[in-house]
Amino acid sequence: MKRIANRQYLWIGAIFVVLALVPLFIDNNYYITILNQMVINMIVVFGLNFITGLTGQMNLGTAGIYAIGAYTSALLSKNFGISPWLTMMAAICAGFLLGRGLGYPSLKMKGVYLSLTTLAFTEIVRIFATNLIDITGGTQGINDIPRFAVGPVMLDTNTKYFYFILVVAVLVCLLSIRIVYSKWGREFRAVRDNADAIESLGLDIKKIKIRAFTLAAMYGTLGGALYAHFNSYITSLSFTTDLSINYVIILMVGGIGSILGNMVGAVVVTLLPELLRFLGDYYQITYCILVLISALFLPNGLVSIYGKITGLLNKGSSAEGGE
Amino acid sequence: MEQTQVVLEVQNLVKRFDGLVAVDNLNFKVKKGRIHALIGPNGAGKTTTVNMITGDNPQTEGEVLFYGKSISKMPIYERASLGIGRTFQNIKLFSTMTVMENLLIGGQGKTTQNLLKYLANFKLAQREERQLREKAEEILNFIGMYKYKDEQVSNLAYGRQKMTELGRTLMGDPKLILLDEPAAGLNPSERKEFIDIIQKVFENNVDMFLIEHNMDVVMNLSHDITVLNFGCKIAEGDPKSILENEEVISAYLGEGYRKQMKKEAGQDA
Amino acid sequence: MGSIIVQLIISGIAMGFIYALVGIEYTLIWNASGVLNFSHDKLITLGAYIFGGTYIVGMQLGFVEGILLSIVTVAVIGIIIAKVIFIPLRNLTMIYTIMATVMLGKIIVEAIRLYWGPVPFSVPGFLVGTVKINNIVISIANIVIIIAAAICVCALQLFLYKTKPGKAMRCVAQNRNASQIMGIDVKTVMIITIIISMVICCLIGILVSPLLNISTTMSNMIGLKGFAAGVIGGFGYLPGAIVGGLVIGIVENLASMVFPAVYKDIAAFVLLVAFLLVRPKGITGKTR
Repeated sequence: MKRIANRQYLWIGAIFVVLALVPLFIDNNYYITILNQMVINMIVVFGLNFITGLTGQMNLGTAGIYAIGAYTSALLSKNFGISPWLTMMAAICAGFLLGRGLGYPSLKMKGVYLSLTTLAFTEIVRIFATNLIDITGGTQGINDIPRFAVGPVMLDTNTKYFYFILVVAVLVCLLSIRIVYSKWGREFRAVRDNADAIESLGLDIKKIKIRAFTLAAMYGTLGGALYAHFNSYITSLSFTTDLSINYVIILMVGGIGSILGNMVGAVVVTLLPELLRFLGDYYQITYCILVLISALFLPNGLVSIYGKITGLLNKGSSAEGGE
Repeated sequence: MEQTQVVLEVQNLVKRFDGLVAVDNLNFKVKKGRIHALIGPNGAGKTTTVNMITGDNPQTEGEVLFYGKSISKMPIYERASLGIGRTFQNIKLFSTMTVMENLLIGGQGKTTQNLLKYLANFKLAQREERQLREKAEEILNFIGMYKYKDEQVSNLAYGRQKMTELGRTLMGDPKLILLDEPAAGLNPSERKEFIDIIQKVFENNVDMFLIEHNMDVVMNLSHDITVLNFGCKIAEGDPKSILENEEVISAYLGEGYRKQMKKEAGQDA
Repeated sequence: MGSIIVQLIISGIAMGFIYALVGIEYTLIWNASGVLNFSHDKLITLGAYIFGGTYIVGMQLGFVEGILLSIVTVAVIGIIIAKVIFIPLRNLTMIYTIMATVMLGKIIVEAIRLYWGPVPFSVPGFLVGTVKINNIVISIANIVIIIAAAICVCALQLFLYKTKPGKAMRCVAQNRNASQIMGIDVKTVMIITIIISMVICCLIGILVSPLLNISTTMSNMIGLKGFAAGVIGGFGYLPGAIVGGLVIGIVENLASMVFPAVYKDIAAFVLLVAFLLVRPKGITGKTR
């Protein structure tokens, strides 16, 4: 366990270093935009990993959560001139309230209720965002959402902003590592493994699940806020159920429950549309079939391939055994 | 000598499932320093009774008292944190985790439940984790499982898994352990080992309440026995008096068993 | 005023029957295989496309032939989907089953887009017109929906309680493992269930085609509200789905008198969360 974790840290570090180096070689603004989106996706999926990856409760409301974060930060900073630093904090607080408010009714019972309520929640957010035109701009959206400065450096280019969110991602990743590889992560995994046994050990399973969901919501709203200030423009058209599903795909393709898997998933799934672009009209259907195959035949994601290969290479080594 | 203290008491306990009465007006007391067994034929309501005591499936009527205090309306985890530990008839472990991790989870109900405080205070986090690990290692030694501590539990033999479950329960410092069929599925040597450990735990001042089908285990371990049949108590007393009880013999043990027991007793003497 | 309320209630009942059918359609699969079918709204869409796109607009068949051929077609597709997706899924954990059905739905949508093209269309002349009784104007589509859905519900009940495969389905719904031990071929039961569920989806698609344009997103809301119907009525309990569906249909139509029409779609979700908070077992109080 320890050794696997250590090797995983190395890979996590390596991915961050490579990401940090990429803008030195690429100055195409389009690719920098994709990089930004990739790291934002990473942050959101680090959060989703708590509830869907570790505790195994399906959350299909990431788009709604993300939208709440984006609108909170965008509206407060644009309409009231509050510093984006503070509005991003406000977005995280909104995530906390959301996690508690939505988590309580849907997680107090066993079963599929969370997936249904979160799915419905995303629809509610989308309907309000589309129709409260005076506030959200509807499908026209909000533009000119301000960028901000870190000390003396104004984050006016996408490259500068990229380095800012990369730092945020590293911090968020460290926080995730600290939670996942501690007693909290153990509790989360215990819920997935055998929910019936937990209460008999003096632990309140509702609390554990709500805690995991609240963390997911806070990461999600942070990601949404970062996205709003990065893109400077948000519209209700982006926050669809498909976006929620896309985050679960990232989680699943990378490897459920593993932080390294989240990162690999974010990289691969964000780049995949670019790689499959040559397929034209058939891109979407190919993409979906690939994901379906991975759900059926590679349930532990891409990181498990690495585990299998190293397992074959040094057979007999006792470090084998997944996450 | 003063009156022995009552650890657990059930009063007029009733459980109905859609009109079917599974347990009817059950009363008994588990006394301090005694191993108490609940026996009876299949479908007599034994597991139902345990589930009422733990809160997994609360009673329709009646009261459950733990050290004189009513716990009948408490959720499962609160009863557990008061000191009621349990094992399950079909082992319920966290199967993708190691033996060590299973034990650690068993103990962490008593650690800080405030995530923010934990994250802010590195020292506290480290100290908690170290104390948990030390305690887990001590228990692993006690149950003879230390060398398996980094094995994933799903790779262990059934007997080892059962032992892991007991270890996990011990991590919560229980005052009373409810054992649901501890000997089921074990081979004779595993069974003997398990009984020895239960004895040792009991000697460390933990009271036991068990459901068991294997009469050897029951007669060897328990001081008091309650016999259930069709949800009703038909007898109560020490092992010897239970063996002599005509109603118990006809409902559960059967004539053959008494003869066999007498024969064995004769051989031992 | 009174006649408007009556009209709203009648169209509410019609929509309610649609939600009830959606609730039944996914509850059947849930009970048989423990898989929550997130592709069901796309299967409804597929039914509408097969009926409207291929048999009516494409091949210019009559409505009756079109409906019958659509049912046969989806039944065949149902067998394929059952064997390729649902049977392999039944032993996986929830995340994978949900994602696999979600991806199945997306694949269906993409296939629809590639095969029938992205432009929405409508079925000309299918269930148009209104009837006037006193002051109350009712569309023929609504009347047909109510009658057809009622027949469908009764037929299903007869099938479940009077036929051998139906009884096997109820056994599997009660306890899959025990049914297997008792000699029921669970896989066959699952295939039958999925075919029935697909046929109901197809009927829903056909029934709503006079109300909505046929497009790839036509049934997104219906699918979601069908889920809500199941929870509000009592999750996993077939009569519960019917009650829940009718409640949602009527409440959302009456709500559109008080609130702006664009928020009509929210009523179902507010009810869903309210029920989870106050009465998680649903109106009927029975879940599986």
